[in-house]
Amino acid sequence: MQAPRIYEIHDQALTIEFSTIISEESHLKVMQLHVFLNGHPFKGFIESVPAYSSLTIYFNEEISSQEIKVYVIDVLEKNISSFSSSAENTSSTKHIIPVCYDLSFGLDLGDVAKEKNLSIDEIITLHTRQTFRVYMIGFVPGFAYMGTLPSTLETKRKNIPRLEVPKGSVAIAGLQTGIYPSTIPGGWNILGRTPINLFDKTKEPCSFLQAGDLVQFQSITKEAFEKYP
Amino acid sequence: MSITILKPGISTSIQDLGRWGFQQYGVPIGGAMDRDAARTANRLCENDDDEAVLESTLHGVEIKFNETVCFALSGGGAKAKINGVDVSYNRLIKVIAGSTLKLHPDAYGCRTYIAFAGGLNIKKELGSTSTYVASALGGMDGRNIIAGDEIKINKDRKEPNAAKDIVIDENGFGVSKWKAQVNPLPHVNDVVEISCVAGPEWELFDETSQALFTNQIFTIASQSNRMGYRMEGATLSLKEKIELVSTAVTRGIVQVTNQGHPIILMADAQTIGGYPRIARIASADLSLLAQCRPGMKVKFHFINK
Repeated sequence: MQAPRIYEIHDQALTIEFSTIISEESHLKVMQLHVFLNGHPFKGFIESVPAYSSLTIYFNEEISSQEIKVYVIDVLEKNISSFSSSAENTSSTKHIIPVCYDLSFGLDLGDVAKEKNLSIDEIITLHTRQTFRVYMIGFVPGFAYMGTLPSTLETKRKNIPRLEVPKGSVAIAGLQTGIYPSTIPGGWNILGRTPINLFDKTKEPCSFLQAGDLVQFQSITKEAFEKYP
Repeated sequence: MSITILKPGISTSIQDLGRWGFQQYGVPIGGAMDRDAARTANRLCENDDDEAVLESTLHGVEIKFNETVCFALSGGGAKAKINGVDVSYNRLIKVIAGSTLKLHPDAYGCRTYIAFAGGLNIKKELGSTSTYVASALGGMDGRNIIAGDEIKINKDRKEPNAAKDIVIDENGFGVSKWKAQVNPLPHVNDVVEISCVAGPEWELFDETSQALFTNQIFTIASQSNRMGYRMEGATLSLKEKIELVSTAVTRGIVQVTNQGHPIILMADAQTIGGYPRIARIASADLSLLAQCRPGMKVKFHFINK
């Protein structure tokens, strides 16, 4: 395994960067280390935050970043080889997420179809037929960055972001897809809306999706959306 | 025991030392912008460091004490008066029921922390009382303080030991004889020197931008808030255009937007970012930076780690 780049982003936060590109392979390493550290927390460990190709470890004054660096390198050398190269050691919960692609919800569906020279049904098929990987949760609480879209669905972010993207909007940008957990400003292209609540502070965990989860979207009618419990 | 907010001032919210353990779900750490001052106010009250305090930006807040309580002020950004009489920061204060605290404009600092002996009775959400408005977490129903809010003070704890020596005078309050030693506050006309080290993407910036960042005096823009300070003074650019893969960011990180504007991430920083990070502020100076208000000038000073 290529040695990761390890650097501080704070006196008490160390980033382990496995690669500088988005790949499932490096994300698996991120998740393996994340799961390992949370299962075997060292003294002073607070939390770790997975991203596309890096894991950031937050810690307190009981340990130095140099000590963590040595420890992490040791863990990676000893354990990564014994972690299977598949996702076995990382919990991959699969979710089927209902999405209503009605044009009243899919505010950019028409424009995306026109730009891609595809029918709306073809866009929906491309968005629902494959399983996406949740790479990380960020931007706002509960917002899952998922990938990877087929290149036929690759889009640019909107030039002028919307001031309000409705809660539950399912959107695409670049080769990523995501769901807005609350009504906030955003620049992704909106294809539909899910009735699922992505962030609930009273639930454990508070985020419906977690890094490492797998997601497949399922097209539902507007009637089914409105009846959703 | 309780207090009533008569006026919320420019912006007042309940904060503690942050919400830890939920960043993997996208929940920011948040908490007091000036942690040193929040700690000092709590220690004066003989509270735990992480007890909920009021964070009030600049002036305008007006608070009525419904019972006799002990409290403390730390940080800055305002001059405090109780019942119209000056009262000092960084001392334990005992005030009688019916009195009013008001924060008046001042030219030093930016944020006042008000701690109450016994602590505020605020429900923790995701392990913290800190208000995070964007997700309606913590504080008073997840929002900033508004006029009319009545906030309860825990009364199950005994009065601070230091309160025994306090003599309440004809103005309705008294202060401890001793004072907490704190760092001086920046004045609005100062050029504040902030220590930093090179950020993870320092090398990706062109030499002109590296030199500008090091030598230029920056101004804290008016759009700055608890999430980040936007800095005006120079436009910075990369040696070559590069799309970075998003990774974790945290308070103190100086990221540069596509337009070349540096933004210093502060308490409510998002958990993940994708902009190149030219520098990071030394943790020891984050409290000083939190006491710098929009319009103030800052110069970055590189230190060797």
